[in-house]
Order: sequence, then C-alpha cells, then structure tokens
Amino acid sequence: MVERILIFVAGLLAAAIVGVALFWQPEMPERPLPKAVIAAGGDFTLQSASGPVALQNYRGKLVLVYFGYTFCPDICPTSLAATAEGLKQLTPEELARVAMIFVSVDPKRDTPARLAEYVDFFHPAIVGVTGTPENIAEIAKRYGVFYAEQKVETAGGGYVVDHSADTFIVAPDGQLVGKMAHATPPDQVVVAIRKYLNQP
Amino acid sequence: MKQLSLLAASLMFSAGVLAGAADNVSVQDPYVRLAPPNAPATGAFMVIKNNGDKDVKVVKADNPVSKVTELHTHINDGGVMKMRPVPSIDIKAKGEAVLKPGSLHVMMIDIKTPMKEGDVVPITLSFDDGSTKQVDAKVVRPMAAPMPAAMEHKH
Ligand SMILES: [Cu+2]
Repeated sequence: MVERILIFVAGLLAAAIVGVALFWQPEMPERPLPKAVIAAGGDFTLQSASGPVALQNYRGKLVLVYFGYTFCPDICPTSLAATAEGLKQLTPEELARVAMIFVSVDPKRDTPARLAEYVDFFHPAIVGVTGTPENIAEIAKRYGVFYAEQKVETAGGGYVVDHSADTFIVAPDGQLVGKMAHATPPDQVVVAIRKYLNQP
Repeated sequence: MKQLSLLAASLMFSAGVLAGAADNVSVQDPYVRLAPPNAPATGAFMVIKNNGDKDVKVVKADNPVSKVTELHTHINDGGVMKMRPVPSIDIKAKGEAVLKPGSLHVMMIDIKTPMKEGDVVPITLSFDDGSTKQVDAKVVRPMAAPMPAAMEHKH
C-alpha cells in the first residue's frame, strides 16, 4: 500500500516536471522559434534605392528583417518606431554590428525610392527593399511570413495588406535565430539584439 | 419680434441637439501620429471617457486634413495584424474607449497636405444621438508605446 502511494506520488512529481518543462515560458523579449516549425529563413537579394541588397553580404552583422509596406498606416510605423528606438539605445560599437532590412510586401506600390524615404524617417540603419512579387512571395514563405492584399471597404479606396508583424533576427552567421513580436518595446529590443550579438 | 422668437427657438433647438452624449464625454491625450514620408494615411489616438449613465457610441469622425476619416480597429490573428473598419466605437456608461496604435483608432486616409510635428488637427466625433464633440489633436512623431500585442507575454 505504502509502495503504491509512493509510486503515485512519484508519478505526480514526474507529471509536474514534464508539465513545467512543457509549459514553462520564462519572460523573454523575443519568441525563439521552436525547432519543429522553425522557418528556414535564408539569404535573399532584393532592390534598394542604392542598388541590390543581399542578406549574405551582411555576414558578421546581426540583421533584423521586417516585412511591411509604406502604405501601412499603423502597424509598420508602430513596429518600426519601437525597433528604431531600441537601435538608438545601442552603443555606437554595437550599432555598427547591426543592420535592419525592411522588405516590402506591397511590390506593386512600393518603389525603392519610396521605401528609402520611408525607412529613413525611422532610422538611418534601416534599408528598404523590394523585388518582383514572385521573389518576395518566395522569401516570405521561407521566413514564415503571411501577407495578403485586402480590399477593405474604405471610402479611401486602394487596399490594405494584412501582414505578419514580427521582426526576424538573423544572427551574424546568417542563421534565422528568433523573432520579436509586434511592437516589442525598445528596451526588450535591446536585450534581444545584445543576446545574439554577444553569442560566439 | 417673430424673428427673434424664431432665433430663440432655433438656439434652444440647437442647444437641445448639442446636449446629449457629447456632453457626458471627455477626451484625454488626443494625438495624431505624424505620417512617415510617402505614407498616405495615419491614425489619431485618444482616450474617450463616458462620464454619463448611458452607453454612448461614436459613429463617425471627421477632420479637415484627410479626404476620408474612418473608425478602425486591428485584429491580431496569430501575429498577422488585420486592420478593419468598425461601424462604431462603443463606450459603456462610466467606461472608456482607448484608441491606441495596434488597436482602435481614427483613421485618416488620403492626407491632403503633409502635416508637421506640432500641428493641431481638429477632429470632430459624432455620437449616435447626433451630438458632436471637437477634439484638438496634436501631431507627434511615432513613438514606442506599449501595445496589446506586446503584452501577451505578461502573465
Ligand atoms: Cu486604420
């Protein structure tokens, strides 16, 4: 009988440990991608106002990648303002090792020139890029980014683009290592950047 | 004399129209977010407080700076932010509606002339009973502010 109770207690403890292991989520500024559904990410080359931008040319730098569009009335400015504020909190030495790429999910309307002016408003370290719709769709898929044009019933006409609002973190070795949720506050952006910047 | 009484009557009438939802509503911290260059739209944000005993609805907003003004919200669908128009912003008796980035907002679409930081945009809110309230919203640069989505990690 005692033995049974002991086995029962041991079972409970084991269940508790497994439960904690499964559901314990320490407060992290970014959501690390679970290995099973990890988006592959990977290199890409797109067009900026000052020529082609290739992710592979950023090796040695931590690269933040955000997918958005200049007609975006609220989500992109909110995310970009928070991230830019985080970039401003880095030391000049740190900032020199960080880059940010804003990939347009609205290639029909976003030209490289338009993107350049737009991203510069937030931070000079951000480069705005676009490409062919097929090219962008392929990259978005690799990064697990969803976007879709929506004909929203607005008297303003035009369309809005629903899109994933995460900021991806590409480590200096080119690996996609994590992402930050929409509007992650600046101090948490700094924590996330430093975490991957200082990894060997 | 007849004209005078007509005037008095119309004054009373307009006072009657003005009284209502708008009288019980106060607005705090209104601001318009400065649109980045080339962005044809931006949002206005504020906290609308209903000090009355009856629920009120904001059914319309207007402003002279953009061609179109709409009431919008955002739906966070698994990390995908979807902006959608809403027919009204409802404010419960003694309650408040918080208009903020990533959530409810007054959408200003097709900005006629670019705004500058510090400009003041008069925004007129119309309520379901026909009363209206003007709010002077200052134009500010986008700032990092806590959003609902960013708080999903708090337990
Ligand atoms: Cu909107």
